[in-house]
Amino acid sequence: MYLFANAAIYIGFAVAIYSLLVITLGISTKNQKLINSGKGGTIALLVCTSLAMLSMFYLLATSQFQFEYVKDYTSSELPIIYKLTALWAGNAGSLLLWTFFLTLYTVMIVFSRKLKGNPMVPYISAILMANAVFFFFILGFVAKPFVLLDKVPLEGKGLNPMLQNPGMIIHPVTLYLGYVGLAIPFAFAMAALIMKNVDDFWIKMTRRWTIIAWLFLSLGNIFGGQWAYVELGWGGYWAWDPVENASFMPWLTATAFLHSVMIQERKNMLKIWNICLIIVSYALTLFGTFLVRSGVLTSVHAFANSNLGLYFLIFMAIAVIGALYVLMSRYNLLKRSAGEFQSFVSKESSFLVNNLLLVGAAFAVFWGTIFPLVSEAVRGTKVTVGLPFFNKVEAPILLSMMFVMAVCPLLAWQRSSVKNLRKNFLIPAILAVIAMVLMVVLGIQKAWAVIGYGVITLLFITHFLEFYRGVMARRKMTKEKPLTALYRLMIRNRRRYGGYIVHLGIAFITMGIIGSQNYDVETMKTVPLGGSLEINNYRLNYERLDQKREGINDIVYADVTVFKNGKRLGTFQPEKVFYGNWEQPSSEVAIISSMKEDLYIVLSAWEDDGKATFVVKVNPMMNWLWMGSFMIVIGALFAVWNGKYGNVTPRYTGVRKEVA
Amino acid sequence: MRNKIYLGLLLIAFIFQGSILHAEAKEEFDYKSPEFKAVAQQFACTCGCGQDHYECDPNTCQLTKDFKADLVGMMNKGWDKDKIRQYYVNIYGEEILTAPEKNGFSLTAWVLPFVALGTAGGGLFFVIRKWVKRKGTEEPVMENQTTEEEVEGEILSSIIDEERKKYL
Repeated sequence: MYLFANAAIYIGFAVAIYSLLVITLGISTKNQKLINSGKGGTIALLVCTSLAMLSMFYLLATSQFQFEYVKDYTSSELPIIYKLTALWAGNAGSLLLWTFFLTLYTVMIVFSRKLKGNPMVPYISAILMANAVFFFFILGFVAKPFVLLDKVPLEGKGLNPMLQNPGMIIHPVTLYLGYVGLAIPFAFAMAALIMKNVDDFWIKMTRRWTIIAWLFLSLGNIFGGQWAYVELGWGGYWAWDPVENASFMPWLTATAFLHSVMIQERKNMLKIWNICLIIVSYALTLFGTFLVRSGVLTSVHAFANSNLGLYFLIFMAIAVIGALYVLMSRYNLLKRSAGEFQSFVSKESSFLVNNLLLVGAAFAVFWGTIFPLVSEAVRGTKVTVGLPFFNKVEAPILLSMMFVMAVCPLLAWQRSSVKNLRKNFLIPAILAVIAMVLMVVLGIQKAWAVIGYGVITLLFITHFLEFYRGVMARRKMTKEKPLTALYRLMIRNRRRYGGYIVHLGIAFITMGIIGSQNYDVETMKTVPLGGSLEINNYRLNYERLDQKREGINDIVYADVTVFKNGKRLGTFQPEKVFYGNWEQPSSEVAIISSMKEDLYIVLSAWEDDGKATFVVKVNPMMNWLWMGSFMIVIGALFAVWNGKYGNVTPRYTGVRKEVA
Repeated sequence: MRNKIYLGLLLIAFIFQGSILHAEAKEEFDYKSPEFKAVAQQFACTCGCGQDHYECDPNTCQLTKDFKADLVGMMNKGWDKDKIRQYYVNIYGEEILTAPEKNGFSLTAWVLPFVALGTAGGGLFFVIRKWVKRKGTEEPVMENQTTEEEVEGEILSSIIDEERKKYL
């Protein structure tokens, strides 16, 4: 198995180099046979990564502890699902997964029906192959997944218990799918530039790829937050840790890209900006990996510190310099913008402001993340830039973003006149102000909450009006029933209405964030057996402390009966788990969830006389956050769904070549 | 007699004070109270947990346990969060804080994102103005298209598309 698995990696490395060279040679000599050979190489690569993945799954599932990776991340008593998912628990395995996704995507692009005979394909393949060469190099020489140990240990170290959670099964996979997904529009953009195609073909062709990559990035972040919430016993979901920031930055720039490409499609403008955005998004995925794997910054995400990050930094530098060189060399072609703006106040302008804020937010995250390094370099003092900084800096930027999101749907393309603005915004604005006043009257008086919920109210109204007017306009022309009209309206413009559903999802998430950040209540109390503690309108009766054994783990748990306004909600068991093969115990929290709020109970400590210390937290509106996340998925899927209408393959009008 | 009254009062005061102290000693401090949060959230725990001293669990980390006790001591002395922060910064330097100070070089951490946004916003304003002007000199502004017209246009084209698919 050792030979087989390693052969898959090294043959893959050789095939990747071969394919890259042969495609490049095929392009320069206009030899279709060479190109076809290189394309065949992409399938061989996928076979290699698949075999390597299968080998790793087999080794993990059968607990072959003679392999370093299996020993480091699993143990024999680990449930089979976590044995398998340990594949992405460590450096080498997660990079193998990344490489697998990269080769899978490459094959999907190279053999895409829509791109058959397209002269861009060899260029795209070559760019993706260059990525593959880098990843196979890493797997073959830096982070080797299949290393044999001199002595065969009887037992493995086991998987970090924190990672034994369903959220952790999905979180890395979705994040990597997002990271790799951004390489596709990047490769298309570069291919288009190299071929001197300055139209929007590459954007239209990669629209779905970009939305799907964006969706996976969103899911990666959301699953990460959800995991932190249920598993870490801290009651929060986002800590602005460097690693979280690393995945949030490309999400922000990719969101900006998704919006700004619409200007290029409509007005043939912002070509340079769009290419810059996709270069930055792609580079940020590599930069994130550099941050995670290099150990230059202190992070709660415990990837082993190694020189792996340095390789990513070098690769990122090469990719960015190469991309900028191509961009500059085509600058004259790109700057010939055909379009123009008719007014300051228009949908186009709002998209530009949206881009400004999103990229500004990404820059603020970037700056905050690297500031400890900057400070150390300048003053020799490595300061910490944590949660208070990011909350203060990001809140106004992202709230402004929400405002732009709220007003954008009602702005017309081209130009909005004052009359138009008054007609569109007067009622929504009045309603939003009334809502804000009502909030103050009803006791919501924190400035951020009132402004935030006011903006979200405006967003809901403008989005409702957008659907309402669409349905009305359709009914005027077709006399359909309202629901039929709504359905047909939406499926005939999936991108627009899918986008609006995503907006609503973001609004729900924001409501959850504002609620849980501004109105959370927490207490830490030591209670005698039979005693109780109170928080808001909850009473918690501490009834029993006991312990049980599950496998090799010892679990101490408390029976806590919860009453809300005197009404019994049930008995819950917060636990503390002591692992047989892991030093640090972990808290299994009890969460009583409702639309209004979550009651979050942590068993923190206990004494011999039965006294126990509980940390209890009331987190308002947490379910809104998860509901919004679900809406994002629905909206994004709706937007990319291969429906009956508007599903036209963009026509290639670029430079023709003799090879494809 | 008066002396006896004073002595009695003094005795009562002494007993009363003792009971207060006793009650205070028994009263458990809530490490999750908002007042404590405001103070403790300023300081980064150095045990390797990556959390601040508000979040770090005193039941598993001795470092934060002692630190929290010190903080409570200072709060009981009437020190506010700024004074406590200054105290620790004087001893350990800025490294102990969870966010950079708002003075000296660290001020750039806070200011630069907004300066960059402002500059880019100004640049964007001039770019849009240039584009609008360019349009203005070339041809007169087209008739305004309202949102309803735009939606109607889209619906019309989608219906045409639908019909086309039926017959072609």
